[in-house]
Amino acid sequence: MSAANGAANAAAEDTELDELRAALRDFLAAKSSEDAVRKLMEVEPRYDPAVWTQLAEQLRLPALAIPERFGGDGFGLVELGVAMEEAGRVLLCSPFFATVALGAQALLASGDEEACSRYLPDIAAGRATSTFAVTEHEGSWDTGRMNTHATFEGGSWSLTGEKLFVVDGTTADLLLVVAQTEAGPSLFVVDRSAEGEAVTAEPMQAIDGTRALARVLFRSTPATIVGPEGSAAAVVERVIDTASVALAAEQAGGARRCLEMSAGYARERYQFGRPIGSFQAVKHKCADMLVQVELAEAAAREAARLADESSPEFPVAAATAHACCSRAYMFAAMENIQVHGGIGFTWEHPAHLYFRRAKSSQLLFGGPAVYLERVLERLHV
Amino acid sequence: MEQDVEQDAAEFAARARAFLDAHAEPAPDRGAFTWGEGDDRMAYFSADPPDVDLAKVKQARAWQRIRHENGFGWITGPAQYGGRGLTPVHDLIYDTVESEYDVPDTGMISVVGLGMIGPTILAHAQQSMRDRWLPAMYRGDAIACQLFSEPGAGSDLASVTTRAVREGDGWSITGQKVWTSVAQHSQIGLALARTNPDAPKHRGITAFLVPMDAPGVDIRPLRQMTGGADFNEVFLTDVHVPDENRLGEVDGGWTVALTTLMNERATVGSEGAGPVGAALSPDRLAGLLRATGTIGDGALRARLAELLVDAMATGHLNARALRKLRGGVAPGPEMSVSKLMYGQNLTKAAHLITDVLGLRAVADTGQWGTYAWSEMLLATPALRILGGTEEIMKNILAERVLGLPKEPGIDTRSPFRELRRSGAEASK
Repeated sequence: MSAANGAANAAAEDTELDELRAALRDFLAAKSSEDAVRKLMEVEPRYDPAVWTQLAEQLRLPALAIPERFGGDGFGLVELGVAMEEAGRVLLCSPFFATVALGAQALLASGDEEACSRYLPDIAAGRATSTFAVTEHEGSWDTGRMNTHATFEGGSWSLTGEKLFVVDGTTADLLLVVAQTEAGPSLFVVDRSAEGEAVTAEPMQAIDGTRALARVLFRSTPATIVGPEGSAAAVVERVIDTASVALAAEQAGGARRCLEMSAGYARERYQFGRPIGSFQAVKHKCADMLVQVELAEAAAREAARLADESSPEFPVAAATAHACCSRAYMFAAMENIQVHGGIGFTWEHPAHLYFRRAKSSQLLFGGPAVYLERVLERLHV
Repeated sequence: MEQDVEQDAAEFAARARAFLDAHAEPAPDRGAFTWGEGDDRMAYFSADPPDVDLAKVKQARAWQRIRHENGFGWITGPAQYGGRGLTPVHDLIYDTVESEYDVPDTGMISVVGLGMIGPTILAHAQQSMRDRWLPAMYRGDAIACQLFSEPGAGSDLASVTTRAVREGDGWSITGQKVWTSVAQHSQIGLALARTNPDAPKHRGITAFLVPMDAPGVDIRPLRQMTGGADFNEVFLTDVHVPDENRLGEVDGGWTVALTTLMNERATVGSEGAGPVGAALSPDRLAGLLRATGTIGDGALRARLAELLVDAMATGHLNARALRKLRGGVAPGPEMSVSKLMYGQNLTKAAHLITDVLGLRAVADTGQWGTYAWSEMLLATPALRILGGTEEIMKNILAERVLGLPKEPGIDTRSPFRELRRSGAEASK
């Protein structure tokens, strides 16, 4: 019986997490204000390189969830989750999510020690950003439906094809790419600093300016294979599990912020001579949001904990967190606008920024039809 | 110090295990669920015939006595009343260990009596009543019930109209209580009665312990929509109780009631085993879709997945609250959220399953695991009402957690007798 032991550890961990959360919240309040976000979402690159350098060097965010043997700080998804929740609260425009939750996770999931040793220390130190280029015209993460292919000639690989919806695709230094070979879908890395000329990337017009999506064209682009040929399907599955838990934390943070905005407004806005929050119709809308937010936080944090414990329950918990948080954030972002009424529909009000981010996040890995089936699949239904 | 805590917990668990090994059999291995095998009953309310019901109460009392004699009857209670003086962590440890054993269900003693009334008596009753009832209750000799709700006081509990008037050196109580669980098995009831109709509603109530065998107490079973009778109506007619049975101050009963209600929310929110766990098990739900050939139906799969996501997220919420509690942190809004979700999840499950079964849920074909679900279906409306309706739970969340203002009203300031009430003209 280790209940008391677990409790003592949990309390110590909670204190450390609270410190990380407080440090990040202060930093982001100063560096990722609404004004800053609004400026960045209209420009290229879609982030402030100076802020990213500070996040990497002062707060060591990209090092957080990378093992120590690859130059990281060796924390897990629990700590990464705290950072993602805080980033989500303020709609941080940053290469953080793609670099840490997609690119670095693809390298780690490949099991290719050489590639990890070569690239992860640069990622951990903030010297390189990365992303994961999987989806094509249909936006599907199903590796069986990809046309981008790799050919082996003269002792080296090259990629040809088009990837769409690539997060930070115009700026990432390292592109982890899934392409077909004779052995099946395989994982490759393209180092843009070396092969930049053989890759064309352009920003896609998107509903959510705070998350940069790109169209990336490979034309006989030299690439290095990562892990065994034909092994990318498993890598994609693993990355979706991990990245969807990081995304879930970001969604929970955004949903919590929407709830705070609504509750604050409902306390202060007077109509009919009383605060609108005293009307049960408004009160219950806020309570419904609170229920969703509480469930979302619990699902995201519990999935992160199970990941760090290497629990066999993790895949189910990851799928649950993704579904639960996707719905919760969309719901909170929608209702937030309704609680605000007309002012919530203006461009000046930040509510629409959260609505946009909520929808783009919900659909990032395929949307409800895909993530609900994933829950059932993980439960062997 | 952490080392000491850990060692203490380990030793306590070992003692609990030794006790249970000596007095109970390990719970049978339930193994993996297989469609068509085992008990297919799926009832939330027990609705046992009276003789079965009585036998279960007897077993529960006997088991509670054994627990008590071995120091596990009231783990957190003060030693002077037969308690062990330990922490909620020890309580949790014991529950965890006991769940591995096949022991009688003591819910009819513990949920209301030991879970809600006991802590209220300890906090507010006079010394003679604490001495008399607390040891008896935790030894399994006395069962306690809650005489709170009335036909005219449901969500608005502070509008009770049962009257208590001074009579000699005691009180005479008259009124009607409703939705009283285990009243028919109880020796004592905790009643709220109006002692000052000229005061605002929260400030004119007094709490009393009413012996359930006192002259003037009439207990009648209340048949609920499932067809069974799991609750009672209790009619009180000129029931005399001495002043020593009063809890708290005269007109100070609302404070007493809040102690009881706080313990109720904690209890109701933590439910999750029994028929509930079974109803929401992925294996059972998937088994049903397979058995009915609907496993490939996209619309039903989506409903199933949504339900399982909610059920699992609620489970995560409960697990985190439990870990907080073990670390000595009182759970926050999780319990109210989990209570709301509990009713929602079971309602969705019951409708999904009966929709899948079609007419086999409407009339009994004799097939395993089909018509049995109708009993759960008919119980689900109660789960969105008992322990606080959804509307009240949402008010609590919005007001206490989000700080939204209360609805302005005159009911908390005006004398109670001037308020309009259902079925009664406001009297001047």
